[in-house]
Amino acid sequence: MTLPSERMLPRLFLILLLAVLALAGWQWRDGAPLSANLMELVPGTTPDALELRAEQRMQEPLNREMLVLVGHTDRQHAVAMAQKIGEQWQASGLFEKVQWNLQADLPALRTQLLQGRLAMLADADRQQLIEHPDAFIQQRVQALFDPFTGFSLVPSQDDWLGLTGRIQNSQPQHGAVQLDIGSGALIAEADGKSWVLLRARTTGNAFDMNLPLQVAELLKHSREEAARSDVQLLAASGLLYAANGQQQATREMTWVGGGATLGILLLLLLAFRRLRVLLAFVPVLVGMLFGMVACVALFGHMHVMTLVLGSSLIGVAVDYPLHYLSKSWSLKPWHSWPALRLTLPGLTLSLITSCIGYLALAWTPFPALTQIAAFSAAGLVGAYLSAVCLLPALLKGADLRPAQWPLRVAEFLVNLREAMLQRARTPVLLALLIAFCVGGLLQLSTKNDIRQWVGMPQHLTDEAQAIARITGYQPTSQFFLIRAANQQELLERQSALSDRLEQLVNLDKLQGFLSLNQLVNQPSEQKQVREALSKLPQFWQPLLDVGVPAEALHAELAKLQALPIEDIDAALVGPLAEPYRPLWLGPTADGGVAAMVSLQGLNNPSLLRVQALDLPGVELVDRLGELNNVFAQTQISAAELKLASCALIVLVLILPFGLSGALRIVALPLLAALCSLASLGWLGQPLTLFSLFGLLLVTAISVDYAILMREQVGGAAVSLLGTLLAALTTWLSFGLLAVSSTPAVSNFGLSVSLGLAFSFILAPWAGRHVHAVPVAEQTA
Amino acid sequence: MNTVFKCLGALALLGLASMAHAFDLQQLSDQLAKPEVIHGHFVQEKHLRALPQPLTSKGTFVLAKNHGLLWLLKTPLQQDYRINAKGIARRDANGWQLLPGKSAGAEQNRLFLAVLQGDSSGLQRDFELALSGDAQKWKLTLTPRSMLLKQVFNQINIDGGELVNSIELLETQGDSTVMRMQDTTSAQPLSDAEQHDFAE
Repeated sequence: MTLPSERMLPRLFLILLLAVLALAGWQWRDGAPLSANLMELVPGTTPDALELRAEQRMQEPLNREMLVLVGHTDRQHAVAMAQKIGEQWQASGLFEKVQWNLQADLPALRTQLLQGRLAMLADADRQQLIEHPDAFIQQRVQALFDPFTGFSLVPSQDDWLGLTGRIQNSQPQHGAVQLDIGSGALIAEADGKSWVLLRARTTGNAFDMNLPLQVAELLKHSREEAARSDVQLLAASGLLYAANGQQQATREMTWVGGGATLGILLLLLLAFRRLRVLLAFVPVLVGMLFGMVACVALFGHMHVMTLVLGSSLIGVAVDYPLHYLSKSWSLKPWHSWPALRLTLPGLTLSLITSCIGYLALAWTPFPALTQIAAFSAAGLVGAYLSAVCLLPALLKGADLRPAQWPLRVAEFLVNLREAMLQRARTPVLLALLIAFCVGGLLQLSTKNDIRQWVGMPQHLTDEAQAIARITGYQPTSQFFLIRAANQQELLERQSALSDRLEQLVNLDKLQGFLSLNQLVNQPSEQKQVREALSKLPQFWQPLLDVGVPAEALHAELAKLQALPIEDIDAALVGPLAEPYRPLWLGPTADGGVAAMVSLQGLNNPSLLRVQALDLPGVELVDRLGELNNVFAQTQISAAELKLASCALIVLVLILPFGLSGALRIVALPLLAALCSLASLGWLGQPLTLFSLFGLLLVTAISVDYAILMREQVGGAAVSLLGTLLAALTTWLSFGLLAVSSTPAVSNFGLSVSLGLAFSFILAPWAGRHVHAVPVAEQTA
Repeated sequence: MNTVFKCLGALALLGLASMAHAFDLQQLSDQLAKPEVIHGHFVQEKHLRALPQPLTSKGTFVLAKNHGLLWLLKTPLQQDYRINAKGIARRDANGWQLLPGKSAGAEQNRLFLAVLQGDSSGLQRDFELALSGDAQKWKLTLTPRSMLLKQVFNQINIDGGELVNSIELLETQGDSTVMRMQDTTSAQPLSDAEQHDFAE
């Protein structure tokens, strides 16, 4: 009954298994090699190095910073709570810096203002100084007596001309946040409450596995504590999305994995009525192990999304044991090794076609799918090996007496199909099906958006919007990248861009922007100021009249004339430069310089692109937009890929089934895929890149069903039953993905579910009889 | 730097209408809150370290409960200011111009009004308050609490009797400003022109 080679196989496999286990143990030595970085999953659009650096600079605060508003009707109450939370957070060790008040370094601020008197003057002030020096002096005299014009940080005797006061007052106002002089807190007023701004910067970033969860936990705790004193907290951070994503992934993995496992085990028990048959789950476990090990070995880590999607492999892996277990309905008595021998060619073909299908995913430009492909292909190989080498030994001597009702169900279905064919011949059915497809396809719309990759829970987006509304901070992911040969040119280009952006702000198309030229003037402008100053003594009589000593004015003028022309690096030193510092990219590889202009509250990206069109060296970087384009383009290449994988499968199948058989077997899954597309249309669901990937996969899996039906080992009913079981188990795992709250995953699950259903329905047409032409042509 | 605190001092002095504490502070508060309208002259002296003579300006003011403050500078130059709930405004040829709400100015305005409207909590939080003397002759000293304020000035002194007589701001850098209120009276109601100025 058992060949000698079959005695060896289990041992050899166990050795392999031990080796893989050891490798897994080594891979997990420093904890789970998991990653949650979404950006790892999306295709690189190969931006140049500078663009990449700029992007990382803009991304960093999103992934490391948390913005919190502490709100209460009583300002002091809010400040006190912000202070308390700030201290607690600082003590938590999770944050590098927690800031709830501005302990401004006034001496440094004074130094910066004094040093920047030539370089930091706003356009209007500079123009007045150059064109209307008399008015300039008159305003200064007024200011000296004016008790209400806002306070100047620099004492009058250090700045008789009042340049620092002008610089101070012309600093762009950032959002609706005001400094509370008493506490140093930054406060916004909205909805009848005072909102104290608290900023926290974490030690790691959102893609550290534990940090986001810890931060989310701490926030939850603080929120509860604040709520007890009737204080409301609003928080926004990429970390919170990451934490939510992780929790969701864990939850869904449990649901999908657990649900599929339970369902499959139940199905096995119901069908085969022997506890021992649960051993059929061994290949599943081995498959998951192989998948993970291969994934970590190839990519250094595994993404949580791979794990979620990968857990659907359970349903496919269990098909291998099912292949020969289901022979127990026809083979009586059933023995494990002979049953295996009988189904081995089918199993092997199935492994090859499935692997082709999965590996086709690896050729898409999506690292996410490459990972899933590697995970799944390795998983399938593991499952196959354990089903072929180990499981028969474990099931040796098992006396399988499967329940008869599944067979009766299958027979009923076969008869039903026969009866149906009596009334409507295949060509008629096909015509109906094609009508269904055309109708559905016409209604199909496509949708590609990176946001589908992330579950965006309402409460998080609501809070982020509330914060944007209250503070006026509404950072956008788009920004301008400006390149130039030198700093003078760079600032000129930024000024040209600023003029245009200013118009957009005035038109309410843009809330605001931050550009280096708001901080520091072009060297040529600084020289103009210096020249204008030298003419000032003709106009400063009014200052002398109110008692300012002439010597003091002359001394100040001499100091001003001696101020060096300030370059960007010098301008970025002081405290006022803080928001501008990330914008400066410095010298570039090609010998030029580069900087960014960041944007606030954008509502129309295409308007922005137009701004940059005829400005040399200015470029809008819109990674989201680019990614969405890549998605759309990939959809087309994915379709091509699908056809290519089908061609490959045909080649593989020609050997056992001949050309026409192979064509027919492949035509069915393709038709099933078409039907699924049409169903999406009828259901009003958009076609996304993910539904397409799902269909790509389903083609590979459902080739199995066609093979199973065509081989017809044990009769039509038994074959149909085998197909039904395989489809059910696969559907149990993929179908459950449809409930995921990540649109991309759910979309994937839905399209695979539809594809499986159609594949099962169409599988009987794989036919036993050899036809000269494939179905489609024959019926045309 | 003088101006912020100056104003705030001015308000404090003018309007202490509302400090709520014993005669202490409560009594002083009540005392200052009584008059509906105060008219008076002011002399402002800005003592700058570098100048042998202070920068002196003179003018008149009107503080009206529930309306705000008119500060009318007459010499050496003429300039009218108004502070009320809307913010700080300056009069030019086209009428009152609200000054843009830069953060520092807006904050100052807030403190100012906190004093005017009797919101002592704002002052109490930002300053240590020390009151000496009696209702006929008292002196209130404000010492900043926060690091930020301490970096700007040392102390504000407010002297008064029935009404506020003078406010003195001592800045950390050695400059100081004194505002003296003279001929203050609470006997005169708002004139039509003044009402119009507040209403506009």
